[in-house]
Amino acid sequence: MPAYNKITSAAAEELRACVSTGRFFFGGEADPNYTHDEMPIYGRFMPEAAVDVETTEEVSAIMKICSRYKIPVTCRGAGTGLVGGCVPLYGGLVLCTRRMNRILGYDMENLVVRLQPGVLLKDLAADALSRGLLYPPDPGEKTATVGGNISTNAGGMRAVKYGVTRDYVLAMTVVLADGRILELGKPVSKSSSGYSLLHLMIGSEGTLGIITEMALKLVPNPQCDVSCLVPFRDVESCIHFVPKVRLANLDPQSIEFMDADIVSSSAAFTGSPIFPERVANTAVGASVLVTFVGTEPDELDRRMIKLGEIAKEAGALDVLVVATPSNKKAAWSARSSFLTAIEADTRLIDEMDVVVPVDRIPAFLLYIRSLGEQTGIRIRNFGHAGDGNLHIYCCSNDLEEDEFKRRVKIIMDAAYRRCAELEGQVSGEHAIGHAKMAYLRESVGEDVFALMGGIKKVFDPDMLLNPGKVCDRERRTSC
Amino acid sequence: MLKILVCVKQIPDVDLVKMDPETGNLVRAGVPTLTNPLDLNALEAAVRTKERCGGRITLITMGPPAAEETLRECLAVGGDEAVLITGRPFGGADTLSTSYTIVKAAEALGKFDLIFCGKESLDGATGQMASQLAERFDAAQISCCLTIEDIAEGRIRAVRALETGRETVEATLPCLLTVEKDNFYGRLPSLGAYLAAKTAPITVFDETSLPGLDPARIGVPGSGTVVPKIYPPELPEPGQIIRTGSVKTDVGRLVSLLAEKDVI
Repeated sequence: MPAYNKITSAAAEELRACVSTGRFFFGGEADPNYTHDEMPIYGRFMPEAAVDVETTEEVSAIMKICSRYKIPVTCRGAGTGLVGGCVPLYGGLVLCTRRMNRILGYDMENLVVRLQPGVLLKDLAADALSRGLLYPPDPGEKTATVGGNISTNAGGMRAVKYGVTRDYVLAMTVVLADGRILELGKPVSKSSSGYSLLHLMIGSEGTLGIITEMALKLVPNPQCDVSCLVPFRDVESCIHFVPKVRLANLDPQSIEFMDADIVSSSAAFTGSPIFPERVANTAVGASVLVTFVGTEPDELDRRMIKLGEIAKEAGALDVLVVATPSNKKAAWSARSSFLTAIEADTRLIDEMDVVVPVDRIPAFLLYIRSLGEQTGIRIRNFGHAGDGNLHIYCCSNDLEEDEFKRRVKIIMDAAYRRCAELEGQVSGEHAIGHAKMAYLRESVGEDVFALMGGIKKVFDPDMLLNPGKVCDRERRTSC
Repeated sequence: MLKILVCVKQIPDVDLVKMDPETGNLVRAGVPTLTNPLDLNALEAAVRTKERCGGRITLITMGPPAAEETLRECLAVGGDEAVLITGRPFGGADTLSTSYTIVKAAEALGKFDLIFCGKESLDGATGQMASQLAERFDAAQISCCLTIEDIAEGRIRAVRALETGRETVEATLPCLLTVEKDNFYGRLPSLGAYLAAKTAPITVFDETSLPGLDPARIGVPGSGTVVPKIYPPELPEPGQIIRTGSVKTDVGRLVSLLAEKDVI
């Protein structure tokens, strides 16, 4: 059982000396926002100290001190996570990378960008775009840090065509728990060179090391794009349409699913009813938004025509085109606002981010809906239909928090079991944190879970980095 | 069958237009264009009217040849035919000469029962066109329309927004309407209509083909106003965000700043 030490005045002074004035906070000075992420229902945990780091060397010096004093360290970016991944469960030090926000340079011949982990996703996307390049991973939360995206292997809407964050990380600098600095990976497109510690680090949620610099792959920005909104009477026919789109070789960039409830919430929140709630005098039960990118508008037209034929056969109410800059802006800002819209009108929220084989989405959604009805919890959902990743929110404005948690646990326990039966995974892109650890263990089984724990101990024998997360279920004491 | 005219305008994306600090001119080169959003609200009102009462929608715009894109966008969401007035002599027109030109072109197409306009364009934002057009068409005008309640027997009844409430008004046709955007959010085009609009014929008028046009009343010569200079508005000082990471320090600093300014 590892024992952690509290941060003493002596340790605090050593830590303070690692950074310039105004970047170390001790004894209640830490930003209260560091106690939680964007899912506060998983609890609030106050760190004893916090530090805003700017360089790899600072991180290394800090980790050497924390290693010597046995102080737990929780790395944090923008704090936009949804599973309690960046909260300091055991106090200790929060190490924040928000000031490591520099894009260090582009290699235009190899289409590689080097950057620090605190760069926001939206800033990287805009900067790359100004050079005619696209950073394909496109998680909905654009104010997340890229370091956070790598730590959770975030996916996003374009994963259908381009894959997820993991597919774009070429190399990184990592600081280990004892302060050693490692260079993992190279800016090359292939590697068959031993165990990939680089890929082990991606999605490890700050439990194996602290990423302080990355080299990411970019692609040329597509010259044109268009989206089609395909509305259906009900969720079932809507979701059954998705595999047909994939089989038709139309190469969509994204296929996003939205049910009527979330469309209505988003319209109320943004004031922009871009997604219609009625089409052809029929109430829309659910819609998919299919996006195509390419080099020629005519080529996109041909794909849309084919999509229209499939949609008609599948019983779609219509196929609506999102082609003008104004409509694109309205559609994507509405789509990006789904979570914020839920947060705006809901007092108590819990969520799951499962991923199931695409053809099993209807079965899972129907099951979730029945669980909601049985427990009296409002279920709202949207997600990346093209890759089976569903964001499901349990919501209540009326229940007391304890009762809400009790009922949500009934839903979660049953839903994750059903997800496993359908050969799904616990998380598609939000990761595990401390909130989903029990479900991960149940999903992967004891052998795999124990191997994960063993890997953690190789990297971090004193269990200092982000304790209590992913696969770390050891109880601890603080001296 | 109602004959409906909808006036639309292609504008530069006003969020992206910059000003040349030397000349004071707007730099529009390379700036993406879009259809004036408030015109799309007017079009939506026209399309709903057509769906309810029957009719035919004619779209009209004046601008460079590229303004055809705006007409095709509007054809895709309910327009039946489109007219583009284009030519160098029309360039530099203010609202006086633009309204004259639009009406001349409309007269060449026949008489209209209803004319729909955006409240203003987001680039020029004079808000003068609708009233000038109503006057030149000798039409009644209902501005700030919230709902159209009834159209029958040469009359229209509509509810319009006031600063402190609403009023129901009636007018005889022809009537020109501007609409409130929240009540007439534009629709997305169906795929079939979107593709058909790409190749739909567009009637083009230039200064030689528009019947009865007085060259002295178009473009710069026909304009009643001159714009000697364009300059950005003076912006207030940007605010200051206090965020040291410590609420105690932040509050202390805020209090001393307010005290310095004699606010507290």
